[in-house]
Amino acid sequence: MRKFLLTLLAISLLAVPAFSAEPIKIGEIATVTGDFAAYGVAEVESVKIAVAEINAAGGVLGRPLEVVMYDCRTRQEDMVNAARRLVEQDKVVAVIGPSGSGLCIAAAPIFNRGHVAHLGTLPTNPLVTVDESGKVRPYNFRICFLDPYQGAIMAQFSYINLRAKKAAILYDVSSDYSQGQREFFIKSFEKSGGKIVADEGFRGEDVDFRSQLTNMKDSDADVLIFPFMGKSLPLAVKQARELGIELPIVGGDGYGDFMWEISGNTLRNTFWVSHVDRYDPTLKAFFDKYYEETKTECQEFMNAVMAYDCVYWLKDAIERAGSTDPEKVRDALEQTKDLKLMHCVLTMDEFHNPTGKDGVILRCDETERKSLFFTKIRPE
Amino acid sequence: MQQIINGLSLGSVYALIAVGYSLVYSILLFSNFAHGGFLVVGGYACYFLLTQWGYSVPVSMAGALIASGLTAIITERLAYKPIRERTTTTLYLLIASMGVNIIIENLFVVTVGGRIRALPQNTFPTGIFKIAGVTLSASDIISLVTAVIFLTMLQIFLNKTRWGLAIRAAACDIRTAGLMGVNVTFLISLVFFVAGILAAVGGIFLSVRYSLYPQLGSITTKAFIAAVIGGLGSLPGAVVGSLILGLAEMLTAGFISSQMRDLVVYSLLVIMLLIRPAGFFGKAVSEKI
Repeated sequence: MRKFLLTLLAISLLAVPAFSAEPIKIGEIATVTGDFAAYGVAEVESVKIAVAEINAAGGVLGRPLEVVMYDCRTRQEDMVNAARRLVEQDKVVAVIGPSGSGLCIAAAPIFNRGHVAHLGTLPTNPLVTVDESGKVRPYNFRICFLDPYQGAIMAQFSYINLRAKKAAILYDVSSDYSQGQREFFIKSFEKSGGKIVADEGFRGEDVDFRSQLTNMKDSDADVLIFPFMGKSLPLAVKQARELGIELPIVGGDGYGDFMWEISGNTLRNTFWVSHVDRYDPTLKAFFDKYYEETKTECQEFMNAVMAYDCVYWLKDAIERAGSTDPEKVRDALEQTKDLKLMHCVLTMDEFHNPTGKDGVILRCDETERKSLFFTKIRPE
Repeated sequence: MQQIINGLSLGSVYALIAVGYSLVYSILLFSNFAHGGFLVVGGYACYFLLTQWGYSVPVSMAGALIASGLTAIITERLAYKPIRERTTTTLYLLIASMGVNIIIENLFVVTVGGRIRALPQNTFPTGIFKIAGVTLSASDIISLVTAVIFLTMLQIFLNKTRWGLAIRAAACDIRTAGLMGVNVTFLISLVFFVAGILAAVGGIFLSVRYSLYPQLGSITTKAFIAAVIGGLGSLPGAVVGSLILGLAEMLTAGFISSQMRDLVVYSLLVIMLLIRPAGFFGKAVSEKI
């Protein structure tokens, strides 16, 4: 018994350096409830995994990381409130998440006023890191590529790989994300020599797209372009197939495994831009660990991988800054160069966007009921 | 032609929901906004009976109808009855129903989560039929046929049974019906049970067609507008209003612009209220909320 107690004491003494040091607080905002709950839950779990790994390996600057998390429910006012609390009350070093562009744009002034860096996981709209006049927002960063880039990837893929000359677009008029991708798709597709034969809109909360899809069907298009996300995506795919449209469908990075539950095999012949390949061998260890920790498959894998890598990106910046001063951490984030992360080698450009990332195209396979790697594209 | 089929198919689902609104309105003279909540209960009950407890499709659907019907009765007993006994102002009932709707929606958010679900693909037959260049999906046909079956059954119930007669009598004047020996408390529960059943049918259809999430009930706003256009309190009116609304939505989106869809729907409502406040088939009443 005495030996046991002594061993216990020795273990606790060994553990003292990690636990006695004051934790470094990092903020996280996620959409844990609401329409994009699945994305937010994956984000929270991945951040937990990364933080646990870092802490187990001795923390950062000899101190453990501690996450302060708030749910923003996909609502901009909740996002602003969460950002304010993290910056003003919790005094975090930097904030990670969420995935939505509109949310990140809404809270950008708070981070810039409070001089705390913000790392968006999947906000692809250009205005996340630059303002309307094109000037960089000093405290806003992102780890993913942008909508113009995605629009160009979709256009090049449709024109070159699918040999489509005429495209019909369905987009969400109430979403910056959707509007941006549509605009850049049209620009890039027309520049390549393609023609837009139908351009139909819907409003975010709509669930029935059959009238627009009927027009698209009659437009003699070679490909359907779906630049939006959330529940609208699987519903639109399903309704298109129910109207007898068997054309290939190309979309942005809105794909999620949850779509199989709603669309089933109607996802056949659909292609989605992705930031990562779900079955990339380098990600396997992460997904295995995710399953081990949560007992669920990581369905929203893009946001999960981005959130995980954001934690390591922030760890690297704090270490290079040699300080937890938010200003110094911001400077270090800006100077990130050739940082090897799980899904990419990260280098920041002058507008706080990663440079030279490949766009992965996923193809939905109805026999395996999952999205498989199809090709990689890096648009000019 | 394709747009007309799309419109009729959408209108038939609206009709099932709108009739539930009208039924309650015809007796209690208030619009029960908790109807959307009953619909969500039906959808989730069917989902869990099918996927978690492994019941067959007919058993799960029957379970969903009963679950929604009972929820409607419980709501009436707990939320509306105490108000009815204290005041004759129906405005309080209307406000209470909005509260109940929010409670039901948030109960699902808290207990089962906000994620989007779908009833298993084999719940309804899938398939596409092409007739004279028009594409019809199996779900379009099933929703049209089910709407017709349920609405006919409701009509038979109201016209051929003793309780149907009592409901019709109460719709004319609930106090006199009470004085004539009709058990009004039971009658109101019965009306809510039937309305709950219709909401569940709508909920199952919407879940198959559009997926299932706690806010699914918000679609009942359109059904409510349809009921107003047709004439609140009138069952044929609810059906006609729904078909008009379904067609108006699809034709606007198809031939003008999808962004104009809601503008047209709400303009229709305003125009109707200006020209004929009682709707196509409604009876004029002084207080209509």
